[in-house]
Amino acid sequence: MIQFHRVSKIYAVGLVKIPALSDISFTVDKGEFVVLAGPSGAGKTTMLRLLYRDEVPTEGEVEVLGRSVPGLRGPQIAELRRSIGVVFQDAKLLPGRTVFENIAFVLRVTGTPRRDVTARVFDALRAVGLSARAQSYPAQLSQGEAQRAALARAIVRKPAVLIADEPTGNVDEAMAAEVIDVVKDVWRRGTTVVLATHQARLAVSLKQRMLVLEHGRLEKDG
Amino acid sequence: MLGFMLGEAVRDLRRAGRVAVSAVVLIGFSLVALGGFWVLSTNLGHAVARWRDRVRIIVYLKREPAAADVPALLARVQALGDVVSAVYVGKGEALDSLRRVLGKDAAVLDHLPSNPLPASIEITLAQAAATPDGTRALISRLAMLPEADEVAGGMEWVERLAHWQRLLSMIGLGVGSLLAVAAILTVTTATTLVLYARRHETEIMRLVGAAEMVVRLPLLLQGMLQGLIGGLLALIALGVAHRVTAPHLDPVLNVTIGLPGLEFLSPLNLVFLVAAGTLLGAFGGWLARGPGR
Repeated sequence: MIQFHRVSKIYAVGLVKIPALSDISFTVDKGEFVVLAGPSGAGKTTMLRLLYRDEVPTEGEVEVLGRSVPGLRGPQIAELRRSIGVVFQDAKLLPGRTVFENIAFVLRVTGTPRRDVTARVFDALRAVGLSARAQSYPAQLSQGEAQRAALARAIVRKPAVLIADEPTGNVDEAMAAEVIDVVKDVWRRGTTVVLATHQARLAVSLKQRMLVLEHGRLEKDG
Repeated sequence: MLGFMLGEAVRDLRRAGRVAVSAVVLIGFSLVALGGFWVLSTNLGHAVARWRDRVRIIVYLKREPAAADVPALLARVQALGDVVSAVYVGKGEALDSLRRVLGKDAAVLDHLPSNPLPASIEITLAQAAATPDGTRALISRLAMLPEADEVAGGMEWVERLAHWQRLLSMIGLGVGSLLAVAAILTVTTATTLVLYARRHETEIMRLVGAAEMVVRLPLLLQGMLQGLIGGLLALIALGVAHRVTAPHLDPVLNVTIGLPGLEFLSPLNLVFLVAAGTLLGAFGGWLARGPGR
């Protein structure tokens, strides 16, 4: 499902070259839950961005859902991204739209027929336990609720892969537990999950396969 | 999908606020300028066409020919080329004509010892020859006729009118184009502002795999909406201006260039103006570039 083969990523800032990832190789099977752990700046976000073709590797090969990602162009990138749900540390909800509209927006811009939108949005909201907040604006939500709304937006298209980049980074422990519960629920329904966190305790508590990154190198897989 | 994108375009238009209003006003101004000069040019064009049709060359004869000789004389005139019709006007007919023109003062003619008016031939030119050069050439050929005393008529003033018409068209096109460029730049600015305002939407759209067309089309539609509104405002402004000025201009036009009144643009012209506004807006929207890819 996901394959990294000897992937390196070097950012060039003027004449200075900053290595972000060095010679990373691993495979994630369909339906797996993988935790990407490591301190800030270890290269976790870069690795995730390579998955949805927001970055291309300097060297090596990235394969997602049977496609070689670095070679994808225009419409092929859009097609890949329609199979991937992404959640960030910052919920990135659109402030001028309600929770319902934020989630419906994703369906509308990807061509879902209008008649199917409402049912699918409420399915997603139920899955994250947020049906009652459908008409609230992001400013009216707690950070935990906002993150769950972002999760609903990520799963509304029933993606094959869910990428969560520090989804609990902005919330307190109780809210983090709620968010993680939702992510686990999504995983149990068959979605492959790649979750990045710098919180070592959270990474361990998830009791899933862990890839530990340090200074751009894969230090541990297991 | 199109309904959704149109909704997004309207939302964006509201976000652009005053800049969008400026763009609409500028598009309106450019189309009013274009339409205004178009009205003037069209009316002058009608006057030119009307006067071209009426251009006559008159050959005044040295003496009145015998009735039996008239057909042969007219045939020789026709044979000179570029002549559509040649009509003989005898001395008596010319006097009757003058009498009709003088109306109640015609009695003065009764005191003349003899009819002073010469017999003449009125010539209508072929369409192809109705130019200053063509007219001059025919006049010199007619002057060679032994019966001709004097040849009168010409196209110069009609051509001057035509020259003004062309000049007005060019000025209209020039002013309209300048304003159109300004309008395009304003729409581009409005759309670029919108692009910055909606960068989070754009980011989400790209993240979830929206087609590039879905990302760009609302911007194009937003530009088109600005153009459409500008075009409709221009039509209203032109219509009101015509309604207000026509009653004052009509008598002047009638006396000076013989037009019955100031004609407004045809429905097809109006559709063209609105379409031009919409295209201007679309072009401005298409030119806009914002953050990200």
